[in-house]
Amino acid sequence: MQLLLTTLLLVAPDWVVSLTRERRPNLFWAEYIVWPLIQIVIVIFIVLTLVAYLTYLERKVSAFIQARLGPMRVGPWGLLQPLADGIKLLLKEDIVPIKADRAVFLIAPVISVVAALVVLSVIPWGAGWATIANVNIGLLFVLAVSSVGVLGLVLAGWSSNSKYSLLGALRSSAQMVSYEIGMGLSIIGALMFARTLSMSGIIDAQQTDTLWGLGYFLYQPLGVLVYLTSALGETNRAPFDLPEAESELVAGYHTEYSGFRWALFFMAEYASMIVTAAVAVTVFFGGWYFPGLGLVKNPTLYVFLSVVIYALKIAALLYAYMWFRWTWPRYRYDQLMELGWKWMIPAGLANIVLTGVWYVLALPKAQGGVFGLMHEEKGRLIPTKFSGIAYFVVTGLFVTIPIVWGLLANINRRSRDFNLHEQRQLQMQLRRERLEKMLQQPASSQATEGVQ
Amino acid sequence: MTAAKSSSKRTIGYLIRRLLLIDLFKGLMVTFKYNARALYEKRDGGNPNQAIYTEQYPLEPARVSERFRGAPRLNLDPENGTTLCIACDLCALACPVDCIEVGSIRREVREGEKVNKKKVLTTFIYDTSRCMFCNLCVEACPTDCLELTQSFELAVYHRAGFRWDREMLEKGINYVKYKK
Repeated sequence: MQLLLTTLLLVAPDWVVSLTRERRPNLFWAEYIVWPLIQIVIVIFIVLTLVAYLTYLERKVSAFIQARLGPMRVGPWGLLQPLADGIKLLLKEDIVPIKADRAVFLIAPVISVVAALVVLSVIPWGAGWATIANVNIGLLFVLAVSSVGVLGLVLAGWSSNSKYSLLGALRSSAQMVSYEIGMGLSIIGALMFARTLSMSGIIDAQQTDTLWGLGYFLYQPLGVLVYLTSALGETNRAPFDLPEAESELVAGYHTEYSGFRWALFFMAEYASMIVTAAVAVTVFFGGWYFPGLGLVKNPTLYVFLSVVIYALKIAALLYAYMWFRWTWPRYRYDQLMELGWKWMIPAGLANIVLTGVWYVLALPKAQGGVFGLMHEEKGRLIPTKFSGIAYFVVTGLFVTIPIVWGLLANINRRSRDFNLHEQRQLQMQLRRERLEKMLQQPASSQATEGVQ
Repeated sequence: MTAAKSSSKRTIGYLIRRLLLIDLFKGLMVTFKYNARALYEKRDGGNPNQAIYTEQYPLEPARVSERFRGAPRLNLDPENGTTLCIACDLCALACPVDCIEVGSIRREVREGEKVNKKKVLTTFIYDTSRCMFCNLCVEACPTDCLELTQSFELAVYHRAGFRWDREMLEKGINYVKYKK
């Protein structure tokens, strides 16, 4: 009994220990092994349940948007449908094609799902003890590990020994790799303000830097736009869901997969959706902070509220993902690549340059700035209240976006001519001339031509 | 290159629409409205004005049009519960596919003080497997006894079940009721 109590005291968070009036036995393994393990189990459990229920939400949202009801028969309002689907997938036969590269085929979905789940460890789910690992390179870690997921897709497509899988893998890996660049570039502008890569550090920075701690989306509207668009492409969601365009293709890289291995890919996709939404919330939308949260003085309540706020912000973004999917039509493949390479990546780069320019101009005059709209506080450079904040909002929204839009529109209009536009116009002109010629000829001669 | 010029002719309004992605947001608003309405609107399956059109058929009664013709029925006199049919055989004569058989006998019927010799209905067989629901029998009926109702659940497990006798025609079939 005593042993159990001691163990519990080892792992309990501060607020539980303060209730018991006992001294916490301060041991290394409690701090770094047992408590993180408990957090990991909780987070994995919650996220996997959430992934299952995201499929339910997806079906409900799509149904409501299309004037249907969606799943209604399993449980009240079909709430047990994800459970039934999970059991069905578990019981299905696990088919491995005879000519497949067996070992790689078996391991590919695992790579995919692990890459998506490992990232969850550095995501700041809330203030204080709700964060599992506050790594000082958190954001870099997220970007690095989530791109390993592409490896799973490529291996799956290659090892299946099927042309559909291979082509699907080719399409999706090309898409994910190109959108990853835009995604990585788009958050750098926000990092310039935060001056840290730690996820919790970025959230803390936003509380001091922005108006009421709302988030960097105020200063980085272009960054938000590029990030959200690239995140859609990165997670293979509509309107960029070409890898598994269900109305056009057999399926994507997972054509040969069945049963639970297929479910693992599915899980990876939805988990990476949660991850990209979480990163967007952390970097641009103020993380677990919301104006007014600072008024809460009870530390326990503070942490719980922060977790709830974070979850709600992620939920709003996930709803937006679904909303977009069931509203907008799918891009053509060349349009997708054009958007990725000709718009998202240059816009991300231009955003970095322009943000840097605005930032340097606003530095305090002692540090070589021109406007002097920032000051030092608690060892950090922050925009001066209202004048600095207004300056960054105005430059972000009304200067950066028009400049980048005008620049890219001009460049891309020329390159479109360079590629196809002129050819298409020539084709149309030739066809028109042919038609006019035919109309000018009398009907009889046309008939004889037809006979010949 | 006249076509190229006309296609590249762009007004300021067009430019603003492209810049602010107005068309995309219009589409989003349409779907969002449907989604929001689906959450608060009272459900009324099959009503085209509702946000959710689905009718959960075995749980909810299915909607059919007012002029829909389904299962036949022999109406009873609402006052004394006897049949309205006078066994005139007009419906059987009117039927283009001969799916009605009317059986009758002549017997003395006491009506008030008088005793009349009358044709009385004994059996009425209606073959729903051959019926094409053309409504000619209903139009022929002089007493509004035979009627085609809105019920459409006519499927049975055996062919013999399609031959509806007088009892079925008068009382209707017992359908399975599903709980919601």
